[in-house]
Amino acid sequence: MINTIIYGLTIGAILYFISIGLSLTFGTMKIVNFAHALVYTVGIYMVITFLPLLRGNFLVAALIGTAVVVPISYVIERFIIRRLYGESLDYAIIATYAVLLIGVDLIKWIWGVNPYPMSDPIGKYLSLGGLTIPVYRILIVVIAVLLFGALNFFFRKSIVGKIVVAALEDKDGVRCLGIKVDKYFSVVFILGSALAALGGILYAPITSIHPYMGFMVLLLSFSVVIVGGMGNLNGTFVSAFALGLVMSLTARYWSQAAETMVFIVMAIMLIIKPIEI
Amino acid sequence: MLDNNAILEMKNLDVAYGHAKALHDVSLSLKQGETSFVIGRNGAGKTTLLKTIIGLLKPLKGSIIYEGRDISGLPPERISLGGIRYVAQEKKVFGNLTVRENIELAAYGLGEPMEQALDKVLGLYPKIKNFLKMKAGQLSGGQRQILLIGRALVGEPKLLLVDEPTEGLAAIVIEDVTAILSRMKGRVSAMIVEQNLTLVSRLADRIFIMKEGKVEREMAGRSAILDTRELEQYL
Amino acid sequence: MREMKGLMLKKEAEKTPGPMTDFLEFKRHLPKERVLLDLAIVAAAFVLLAPILKVQRVTDFMIFCIFVLSFDLLYGYMGRLSFGHMLFLGAGAYGGGLCIRYITKDPLLAILAGIVMAGLLAMLIGLIIVRTTGACFALINLAFNQVGFFLVLSVLRKITKGEDGLGVVPAGLGWLNLGSRPIMFGFVLFFLLLAFYVLRRVTTSPYGYLIRSIKEDETRVKFLGYNTFLYKWLTYVLAGCLAGLAGTLSALNYGYVNPNFMDTHRNVEVVFAALIGGAGNLYGSIIGGVVYMVISNYLAIYIPRWEMVLGIALLILVFRFRQGIWGYVRKKGAQRSISPEIGIEKG
Repeated sequence: MINTIIYGLTIGAILYFISIGLSLTFGTMKIVNFAHALVYTVGIYMVITFLPLLRGNFLVAALIGTAVVVPISYVIERFIIRRLYGESLDYAIIATYAVLLIGVDLIKWIWGVNPYPMSDPIGKYLSLGGLTIPVYRILIVVIAVLLFGALNFFFRKSIVGKIVVAALEDKDGVRCLGIKVDKYFSVVFILGSALAALGGILYAPITSIHPYMGFMVLLLSFSVVIVGGMGNLNGTFVSAFALGLVMSLTARYWSQAAETMVFIVMAIMLIIKPIEI
Repeated sequence: MLDNNAILEMKNLDVAYGHAKALHDVSLSLKQGETSFVIGRNGAGKTTLLKTIIGLLKPLKGSIIYEGRDISGLPPERISLGGIRYVAQEKKVFGNLTVRENIELAAYGLGEPMEQALDKVLGLYPKIKNFLKMKAGQLSGGQRQILLIGRALVGEPKLLLVDEPTEGLAAIVIEDVTAILSRMKGRVSAMIVEQNLTLVSRLADRIFIMKEGKVEREMAGRSAILDTRELEQYL
Repeated sequence: MREMKGLMLKKEAEKTPGPMTDFLEFKRHLPKERVLLDLAIVAAAFVLLAPILKVQRVTDFMIFCIFVLSFDLLYGYMGRLSFGHMLFLGAGAYGGGLCIRYITKDPLLAILAGIVMAGLLAMLIGLIIVRTTGACFALINLAFNQVGFFLVLSVLRKITKGEDGLGVVPAGLGWLNLGSRPIMFGFVLFFLLLAFYVLRRVTTSPYGYLIRSIKEDETRVKFLGYNTFLYKWLTYVLAGCLAGLAGTLSALNYGYVNPNFMDTHRNVEVVFAALIGGAGNLYGSIIGGVVYMVISNYLAIYIPRWEMVLGIALLILVFRFRQGIWGYVRKKGAQRSISPEIGIEKG
């Protein structure tokens, strides 16, 4: 049981990383950015490519993977999202889906369809009262909690953070104070993408890596965002871990239904509290 | 062509929401230092007018000349930096930020040092000092209105656009708001949408009466004091 | 029931300026005989195509066109993009397939079963979903599609035979022997024309105009007193039923049904088709359906990186060619003639 909980928390932590960007993009620009799944996948494949070159140095590979995603997400934001999100929300959704299609196909072309194996970069285990728990899993959860703290600090104390918080509530109001909100949204977008990539990179060693991994994760992240509240980062933190636990607990009894259970929770949430967006 | 005394001139403005036209061929001009009021029934286009000036709406046709330039179609970020400020009808503040942070954002965006901006707002309404650390969302309607006006006065405001400042406010609070607005009178030009005719008659230098997207009549403020009853028919 | 609603709408509407007065203007300019002409054109087009591209392929095209029509009802007319419409196609396919397998081999009953299955699903999901728009709408549909896929693949494996799928072989009904290709073609053509007719009547009715008004500006319609939730829900159910019809026909045509009929990744096909043909328009849907089918059936074999090409094509559509083929044709036509273009902008 302890293992199930730890696994659930790990999944939750990963979902948290990915959902931050999605939640912020939802809240600020009101679009689903399907390409979010792409940056998640790209980060992982970057690590696969660089890891052997760096003689197994996971940390540096992870940093490179995250860094590579920054210019990619900038291009996506600048040339696709910015052009569309003002009025044509549906087109933005279609366009980002198209980007995802193109990206995944490119990945398939370059790296092939076959899953890549990757091993636990730490490989150590904790012994707690008869159980062996991989240190790596705990580390992921710890990093997520640290990230939560860091983000809270960022959004509460920095001027950029305050602008975004204000704009999430009243975008026009912020604009009427002479602030070019869209520029700050771009920054937030890139930040969210980098975090998604980081989440993917952290997750890679404990899951199977293949070009389509982004799709499934995207849907789960979306559920996290819906349950937690769009643009509500504290809510996202809670719902990510909660849904992670839902998944691992469900998987314990019925392994294939794990993801479906998350969607059911999302549907219930929507019935109780329908969203008008 | 441009009246030397005019701070803002609108010429043949057409504005639409989708396919529904909200303003038809509106032309008017605001004099420097003047406090003008816009009155009319709901749906007459008053809010649309203000929103178009500040750039939240783009006109289909026509021009808005401010300080010698046509600002129609420019985004609100630039227009507000040029000195035009907008206070919306919904009295929305940045609820998740503190009152102090609300002012901080204004200072940051409108290019004024925080201390100066804070002094300005406190000078306007000293009672705010007690609320600085409070989340703006917890303020009452009247306090929000005052915060919004204070925020709008940060930087170098030249033209204030206010949409229904006294709507939904208690009488005592209306007094406070009126006091603030009258202190602004003369120093800052203003265009205020209002239903409260007492306020109108006290502060108006000029009155624009709107109906169905057009400016029906224009009246000088002095005569409004006598004609409040006549004005009522337009509401 | 519909007539009653129509009458009530008419009475309220004639009082206030708004969608209804616009609609009555619009209606005045619509020539009445057009429906039959349109049906004839559509029928003729497919009949002509059949010998050129092989009857079975064209039957396939027609089924896809029905699917696109159902999708466009939601997207083009009501302005709601769904990324999970395959759910209803699959529901119809399985509904019909299960009916034939376990209940009766009558193809007409199978079609009814398919439509009912899809319809019930649409009714339930519709209750949750029609309050949302844009991003949420698209993704919730996708999530449900995923759940449906999972259900037919694993959970209900006992009934649906999971990945292997079910054989779907209907019995003949007198002259209606669906094993014969020309008869299947005629059968599907009949339903395509029926769907076209129904949609034409619906979209040019007060109800249809209301849906378009909701797409334009829902708040305004609400303020005029209409229950927009109800109308959106009805449209969703209708779209679901039509997609179900397409699904059942598809199963009958192929002779089997498997989870691929509910594959979430295939949603992009119908989105593409609706866009390239021209959203918000019945002809657009049909053109788009045919174009997509032609491209995917004939060109895709020669293009190795098909998904990438599809993605790029989508981007081009979104940025440069939003009106689609039909929209483009109409623009060119309007530039020449002086006929009044009253009514809400399509697409």
